[in-house]
Amino acid sequence: MNKEMQIILEVNNQADVFYQDAVKLGDHAGSVLKRSRSQLTGLETIAESTSKISDVFDYIKKQTARNSSWRQAHKDSPNEGFGVRLKKYLETNLKESMGIICKKPQLEIGDKSEEDQRERRHIHLLLMRQFIRQMVVEYEFQVNLGDTLNPQNTQGKDAGRNQGNSKRGL
Amino acid sequence: MLSQKHLQKIELLSDTVLYPESVAFVRRMIQKEKCNPLPTTQVNGLLNIALTLNYDNVRNFAEHQRERNWPSNKRDIKTFYTHLEKELIRLEQRLDTEFALTKDEHGRPVSSEDERELLGRLTREYIQHLLAENMLAEAEIKEQRRFQQGPYRR
Repeated sequence: MNKEMQIILEVNNQADVFYQDAVKLGDHAGSVLKRSRSQLTGLETIAESTSKISDVFDYIKKQTARNSSWRQAHKDSPNEGFGVRLKKYLETNLKESMGIICKKPQLEIGDKSEEDQRERRHIHLLLMRQFIRQMVVEYEFQVNLGDTLNPQNTQGKDAGRNQGNSKRGL
Repeated sequence: MLSQKHLQKIELLSDTVLYPESVAFVRRMIQKEKCNPLPTTQVNGLLNIALTLNYDNVRNFAEHQRERNWPSNKRDIKTFYTHLEKELIRLEQRLDTEFALTKDEHGRPVSSEDERELLGRLTREYIQHLLAENMLAEAEIKEQRRFQQGPYRR
């Protein structure tokens, strides 16, 4: 198996390990962001398109600064808002996961040469993408579940949308 | 024109060196220098200059802001730019030594134009990280103050 395939495999293995944490963060997002889907879509887009992990951290910081909902705590994390909790997880926990992958005998990626450092960052970014994808899926699930259990949540929005469509002759 | 290798190196430095240093800078300004975070108008001004990728513009802007005669309630801004200017000079000094960016892949020195562009790109990365951290710090401080000055506080 070539190195790139091995990395993908190891990232997927780690994704199984941190799945429950992604679910918890997704629940946190669902309870504080409500139906502001675009905010997490933006995060996902940044994570998928950038080649720098720091771009994702900067985005989270800016969102946390601009939106009070990103600063709201949750029952799982009473002392920490969503944004800071997410950033900390991506920065610290996933760095540890990256370290575990790099130590694997099949990979053995050091941290001295530029090439090694580049590879480490790439793995960290792959882990972040996986985590964010899992978290967003859980967020969507929670929000849609909420909408199903309480249809009033969406009625106003749908009515507004239909009204807009009829005004435009759609 | 900068090579792909140079651009990749800047990305690496952005993640591994400039990001942690910019976070440390903002924390140092707030905790050690007892400064307030940089206000939004200054953030926008600095960001716009940094996005031009012109290092000299950023240096001149920082110098200009440092030399301004700020009223006493805005002395923090002067302190901020005084320290930022030092960081920019430090960045310039490390271009050749620590960052090893002044040579191309064949070991030939890059042109002075490329050197300025490299500095401009590094500065942009540094300032973007710095301003994101500054925004977060400002929001957190505002929130802390709001809780301290809440309607039920006696």
